[in-house]
Amino acid sequence: MASKPQRHDSSNSDPGEQQALRLRRVSSPVSTNNYPLFNWSSTPAGEDEEGNSRPHRDLRSIPLPMALKRAVRQVQQMHVPVVSRMESWKRNKTKSLRKLKDNAREFHYIFTLWSKSLQKIGGNFGGGVQSYFVFLRFLVVLNFFSFLLIAGFVLIPSIVFRSVGTTLTNSSGPEKCMNYDPNPQGLVVFYNYFLNLLSGTGFMEYSYLFYGYYNNTMAGDRTFSYNIPLAYLFTVVFYFAFCLICIIARMGTAARVAVATGGSAGGNYSMMVFTGWDYGCMADQATKLKQKTIHYRLQVDLEEERIQKRAAALTSSQKIILYSIRFLMCFIAFGLIIASFYGIFVATNFSQEKSGQEGFLGLFFEYLPSIVITTGNFLVPLLCDQIALIEQYAPSTTIILALLRAVFLRLVSLGVLLFTLWRQITCEGQTNSGTCKLCQYNYEVYPCWETRVGQEMYKLTLFDFLINIAVLALVEFPRRMVVDNSSSKVAQWVGRQEFMVPSNVLGLVYGQTVVWTGALFCPLLPLINTIKFVFLFYCKKVTLFYNCRPALKTFRSTTSTFFFLVVLLFGWGLAILVMIYSLAEIHPSMGCGPFRFFPYMWSIVPTSFYSLSKTTQEFLFFIGSQAFSIPLFVLSCVVMCYFIALTSVYGKSVALLRAQLKLEGRDKQFLVKQIEELSRLQIPKHNAGVQD
Amino acid sequence: MGNKQTIFTAQQLDAYQDCTYFTRKEILRLFYRYRDLAPQLVPLDYTNQPDVKLPYELIGSMPELKDNPFRQRIAEVFSEDGEGNMTLDDFLDMFSVLSEMAPRDLKAYYAFKIYDFNNDDFICKSDLEKTLNKLTRNELTEDEVRMVCEKVIDEADLDNDGRLSLEDFQHMIVRAPDFLSTFHIRI
Repeated sequence: MASKPQRHDSSNSDPGEQQALRLRRVSSPVSTNNYPLFNWSSTPAGEDEEGNSRPHRDLRSIPLPMALKRAVRQVQQMHVPVVSRMESWKRNKTKSLRKLKDNAREFHYIFTLWSKSLQKIGGNFGGGVQSYFVFLRFLVVLNFFSFLLIAGFVLIPSIVFRSVGTTLTNSSGPEKCMNYDPNPQGLVVFYNYFLNLLSGTGFMEYSYLFYGYYNNTMAGDRTFSYNIPLAYLFTVVFYFAFCLICIIARMGTAARVAVATGGSAGGNYSMMVFTGWDYGCMADQATKLKQKTIHYRLQVDLEEERIQKRAAALTSSQKIILYSIRFLMCFIAFGLIIASFYGIFVATNFSQEKSGQEGFLGLFFEYLPSIVITTGNFLVPLLCDQIALIEQYAPSTTIILALLRAVFLRLVSLGVLLFTLWRQITCEGQTNSGTCKLCQYNYEVYPCWETRVGQEMYKLTLFDFLINIAVLALVEFPRRMVVDNSSSKVAQWVGRQEFMVPSNVLGLVYGQTVVWTGALFCPLLPLINTIKFVFLFYCKKVTLFYNCRPALKTFRSTTSTFFFLVVLLFGWGLAILVMIYSLAEIHPSMGCGPFRFFPYMWSIVPTSFYSLSKTTQEFLFFIGSQAFSIPLFVLSCVVMCYFIALTSVYGKSVALLRAQLKLEGRDKQFLVKQIEELSRLQIPKHNAGVQD
Repeated sequence: MGNKQTIFTAQQLDAYQDCTYFTRKEILRLFYRYRDLAPQLVPLDYTNQPDVKLPYELIGSMPELKDNPFRQRIAEVFSEDGEGNMTLDDFLDMFSVLSEMAPRDLKAYYAFKIYDFNNDDFICKSDLEKTLNKLTRNELTEDEVRMVCEKVIDEADLDNDGRLSLEDFQHMIVRAPDFLSTFHIRI
């Protein structure tokens, strides 16, 4: 690194400019490392590799004032590099590539959905709330592209080849099992159309919306053939894989940040002081609140320390009492969750029994499971919050515990609903008993069970959306009006709505899990979900700006993105379990759908396999055989071991460097002390010398 | 792109593009924001590099900065004269460092200078106290301020000299996940 005097030697740039700029650093005389100094007197030959090979990239990240940067740029441009034609061609290519990237960035900025809205939200409410809306936007885009996938491979070919095509298998089943007539009988009252729209029955049941409408055909001629059932199966499988890849890719960026900064047990206070203020925060009310937030957080941290000190000073009898209280409360919370599961179970059974009823009462019975799930998801976290107050954990632990409980409740309640359906469809797993003996599924109640499952998922999605709108219109807007216009103590104490990020995100994850679970049975569900989420974005934005005040307890934005995606993966895991089970274990309906007359949905793959050419068959056999998979497995183990070794080496070198830093500091102090001592010894000698 | 703008020469725009993280369009947009602060002072023709400086009061009244408790320090750090009066170059520099694309090290360097109130290249206890008071609007008690400052120096000071040097600060920032997103002004 060049030291200060070398700056004077530079003669390439305007000395006057430099003079004026040196004044900018009205700083200490003892400053040694003002800027990572640029090597002015660099020789052209030596600078070839580093200085000029990437001049522009480095220039922007040098912390120099603008005019100095321009001077540096001039210097670099005046250096005529002695390079080969190959080098200069390479350099020109990198320069034009960079320009292309910049243009592409601008282009991409125009096409990014809702970027201005997100900016406004982030400026007014902070990064935590903005991360919720970014997550929502990600889900909208994911659902839209999934819909395009499904439309391209399943919907459009089905529409085009509707009347054409030959049925795949010639086998058939018992007459009773093939009895499926979803069209409404007799005279249909007009409001029935509305009821049908809400519950997916009637005119909506036998349509492209549900599984039952798709045909068991293969269309085509000698040169081209399109196997609709096979396409249906592969599209759904690929849809799941596509979603997984998108989520993991997005997690990659978030994880990199989390891992790089992880392991910092201490550093809370310094980080809060230096990175606590969001410079992007703009509105005045928001800034006042932001200052209150920081104040609050610092106080909370200090309070937590006091609590910890107090907890460490508890006597053992007090500790025993506290732990037994915690155990009891945990038990109660768990009991509440189990009770809500039982409620869902009973409601689903009841609803299935009463299915087929007409009118609004019938609609109510149809929606009973959704109502019970939503009530449970609303009440149980509230009660758990009250329980958490008694448990007296530290505030951060309380938040994490509440979130985990809520996630567990939401996802497993969906699982309970599916379990109840399964019980009824497969006669509690005994497919060779009772009403399931004839067709391997309960054909009396469910002539087309896949459509019924699809209808349940459709109803869940729709109900979730309606509840969101209803809460908005009936709870949040009136609350704001009451709080703003009345001056009673109660109203002021209740206060304006706060935008709770965690519970809203769980709502999104729940909605997306329902869509994934239902995609096999209701192929248009991603499209419905896209529209639903778009509406939700605008509704939530409106309620945010009109009804909410910025939260006091902010949710960290960087770690929270990663957390949202992890929870989304849980939902994906649940959905893929359901899909695998339906594909492999349950007998498809014989009266409807593209897989009728197959013993399992998956069995279409082996059937079509044998119609491939001989070489392809042999190739695929080879890939599946042990001769290929075992070496592949061994190779991946070796690669994984290599990466693990690399990681541990990096971790060790980081720890080593950190220790070295501390050592350097102590060395510096030691040397400074030595210098002071020596100078003290020198001065009397010098004075003695002078006197003589 | 065929812009027929007459504010800058092509070379000037190229130089700005190379020295900041902005594209052509953004640089022109920022110029108009700069000019909007004082239309009578800022000429529409920068081809002969006029020496125009906007006083701090105008800079500090921008909507992006007016509620920031550190706006004065930001302006002082990025201005040529150290008083907060900014030329267009300083203005572009400031928003370039505070933009999304600036790397962590560059931001950490300028953040350090912003929090170093007495410009001695170290963040000492008095600098920390001033920072904290600006952050919380003087609402913490003396004791609490003292406790927090002690904790900060405890956590971040690696060479044990009782104050934070640039290296200590950068080392602490590396472990802060939120720094890049909070030290960012959207304009």
